[in-house]
Amino acid sequence: MPATDQCFHCDEMLNGADVKFILNGISRQFCCLGCAHAAQWIEQEGLGDYYQLRNQQASKVDEQNLDYSAWDRVEIQNTHCRNINGQTQIVLLTNGMHCAACAWLIQKALQKNPAVHSVNANAITGRIEILWNPIKSRLSVICTQLARLGYKPYLSINEEFEQQKRRERNRLLLKLGLAALVTTQTMMFSEALYFDTQGEMSLATRDFFRWLTFLLCSPVVFYSGSEFISGMLREIKHRQLGMDTLAASSILLAYFASLYQTLVGGQHIWFDAAAMFVFFLLSARVLERFARNKARAQVDLLARAQPQFAWRMNGVEREQCAISQLIVGDHIYLSPGDSIAADGVLLSEAIEVDESLLTGEAELKLKQKGDSLFAGCTLGPNAGSMQVSHIGSDTQLSHILRLVEKSQSNQPPEQVWAERLAGRFVLLMFAITGMAFAIWWQIDSDKAFSVALAVLVAACPCALSLAVPAAVSSAFDALARIGVVVLKPAALAKLLTLNQVVFDKTGTLTTGKPCLEKINTFNNCSEPEAQQIAYSLELGLKHPLAQAFQKQKLPSINFDNISNVPGHGISANLNQDHYLLGKAAFVAKEQPDQGIWLSKNGQLMAQFLLTDAIKQGAKQLLKTLQAQQFECHLLSGDSLDKVESVASTLAISQFQARATPEQKLLYLQQLQERGKRVLMVGDGINDAPVLAQADVSIAMGSGAYISQNNADILLLNSNPEQIQQVFSIARHMQHLMQQNLRWAIGYNLIAVGFALSGFIHPGYASLGMAGSSLLVTLNALRIYRIKS
Amino acid sequence: MNILLALIPISLLLLIVAIAAFFWAVRKDQFENLDAASIDILSDDSKPDTTPESVKDAD
Repeated sequence: MPATDQCFHCDEMLNGADVKFILNGISRQFCCLGCAHAAQWIEQEGLGDYYQLRNQQASKVDEQNLDYSAWDRVEIQNTHCRNINGQTQIVLLTNGMHCAACAWLIQKALQKNPAVHSVNANAITGRIEILWNPIKSRLSVICTQLARLGYKPYLSINEEFEQQKRRERNRLLLKLGLAALVTTQTMMFSEALYFDTQGEMSLATRDFFRWLTFLLCSPVVFYSGSEFISGMLREIKHRQLGMDTLAASSILLAYFASLYQTLVGGQHIWFDAAAMFVFFLLSARVLERFARNKARAQVDLLARAQPQFAWRMNGVEREQCAISQLIVGDHIYLSPGDSIAADGVLLSEAIEVDESLLTGEAELKLKQKGDSLFAGCTLGPNAGSMQVSHIGSDTQLSHILRLVEKSQSNQPPEQVWAERLAGRFVLLMFAITGMAFAIWWQIDSDKAFSVALAVLVAACPCALSLAVPAAVSSAFDALARIGVVVLKPAALAKLLTLNQVVFDKTGTLTTGKPCLEKINTFNNCSEPEAQQIAYSLELGLKHPLAQAFQKQKLPSINFDNISNVPGHGISANLNQDHYLLGKAAFVAKEQPDQGIWLSKNGQLMAQFLLTDAIKQGAKQLLKTLQAQQFECHLLSGDSLDKVESVASTLAISQFQARATPEQKLLYLQQLQERGKRVLMVGDGINDAPVLAQADVSIAMGSGAYISQNNADILLLNSNPEQIQQVFSIARHMQHLMQQNLRWAIGYNLIAVGFALSGFIHPGYASLGMAGSSLLVTLNALRIYRIKS
Repeated sequence: MNILLALIPISLLLLIVAIAAFFWAVRKDQFENLDAASIDILSDDSKPDTTPESVKDAD
């Protein structure tokens, strides 16, 4: 349940907003009308359980009117929808689905629409599959419903890739399921052979059971075990021996040796051991892979979900077309608040553009006729038109994306080292197995093969290979429950070696949205009066500065002739009085260029001082970090005075203002050259290269998808305070990992010793292996208890 | 020991049925969404269904 000063629906701070609605007889507070309507609708539909079931906050509902009518167009129907028995199926992506309760809400809410036949929402992958009757309802109606709940729908671009991933997941599940079922049965039949300790079983019965276990073991080895066999072939081809080689060779050796023994009527068979290896090793692999997919899925999808449409000018008429249909030289119309579809040159008069995606600067930039515009930027409050100069992969945005991908593909040195070590370990184990065979051949040729196999099984680093992934995946899961997604598995362990933290300012430590700090009034104007006038003038504008005035709902005054002068401000009339609201240069030339000014008939009325508020929890975070001997830095593209004020509030001594992406990168490299290890916390696309350069990077969930995709760790709630929790879970994970490793290595050494002495049958060796694997997995689960 | 001749085929048959059921479940996407189902049971679904009107109103 949210605290008293938080929105009931999205948990955001109220910041003076005063929207109250009665739900179920209790008065609740909301941060905006959008959230209030969403909550009302949820309650009205009898879905109020959502608020009890959820374990993460909902997304803030966008108040701006949501128009999805373009999605009803034939192009969309053709490319994204499938026809199933007269019904239409579509897969939508959304970014707000954080937990199972969200998925539940979406399913319940959409199914209330009589046209919708079935809904399948998956919180892990962020996908919603909808099957509906196109005659009864349009797609746009369903999309609007989704958006009203706070889940903004996106069209999936790469459906083929999605299907492929899903098929692969299913294939792995089938392999594991078959291994689990058949291995149990193989073990049952093998029991019959084990219980025959006195050798009383007739040869015919014994051979019958041997062939039976052979029959059952074969699909496990060659179907379920194909994962390891193909891995071994790949490793041999690249001359880089690893875990797969060791696993597959012990599986195949046990299998074929048993087959040979069955054919010649020898003493022992190990079919059950072969099946058990496959099952245990495969479980470990599936666990690890699912945990990783879970972490990546949502970010991967959203990075691909980009704007879909543009308004092409056809003479004087506007027609909506898919972005892929644009060609260089096209004239496109830009509507206020939309994101720009391609790079181009401005044709219309001056407009303002939000380039924060590229530059990280929150303030709108003024563009004159003939200036270049970049894809991915968002238009301010004025409409315009432009001529397309670059499309698709030629745009500035794609260029940056490629740079980021390039810097990602470099393999970290630790990984190379670990692979080389694994290769040597495998060779060493083969050598020891060979030696054991040779020695036992001298002592007791009958037992030699059995001992050699036991050594190979005992050496199989099953617990060892599980030790790290088990601890890592339970840590990932513990983090995912609090809204932190780990994108690169190695990042958590590396986090503990760091000693420097570099912060970006806007959107990371501050909210990135201006809010009213102080009002100075002149000429008998009162504060509430000035605020009301400003509120009425700015009402409905999408300009970020305008939103500072819209936070608090006031009765609005109806002005005449409201006109928006890009880059300057607003002018309007009321009862023959002329009002101006905007920058000093626009309202009162003699005044300092600070804040927003308001005048009536040329007489000054008020000055509004705006500030970018520091996020809740940022102060506590900095205090904790500094207490833990971290050196903190602040890098920002913003002006010096703003950066200075934030730095002094948070007690950060080292900061740099007006930093370009290159300068930020250089700053980081210099730190690293001095032997420092750096954690970077940022959000915008201009941070993307810096995030890639840092030893570990944390991105905010509210930032650009591109930088998210490039970060190691993602805070979905954009709450910097969670960094402390990340550190604490990472520390516990490291502790559990070391415990696991010590146990696994200890087990392997002792087991190999026993196997060499000839006391252990290969089957018991694999039992020990299973036991130690289980212990390692259970140990890793302790992370949940430590956390609470 | 003759009972084995009946029991072993039965156990194999059951195994095949189990595998077939599992393969069917995976192919029919029964394992697609394991999270939402777990909280489905926690909700009360007893309220009268008045949807059609309200959905139209909401749009």
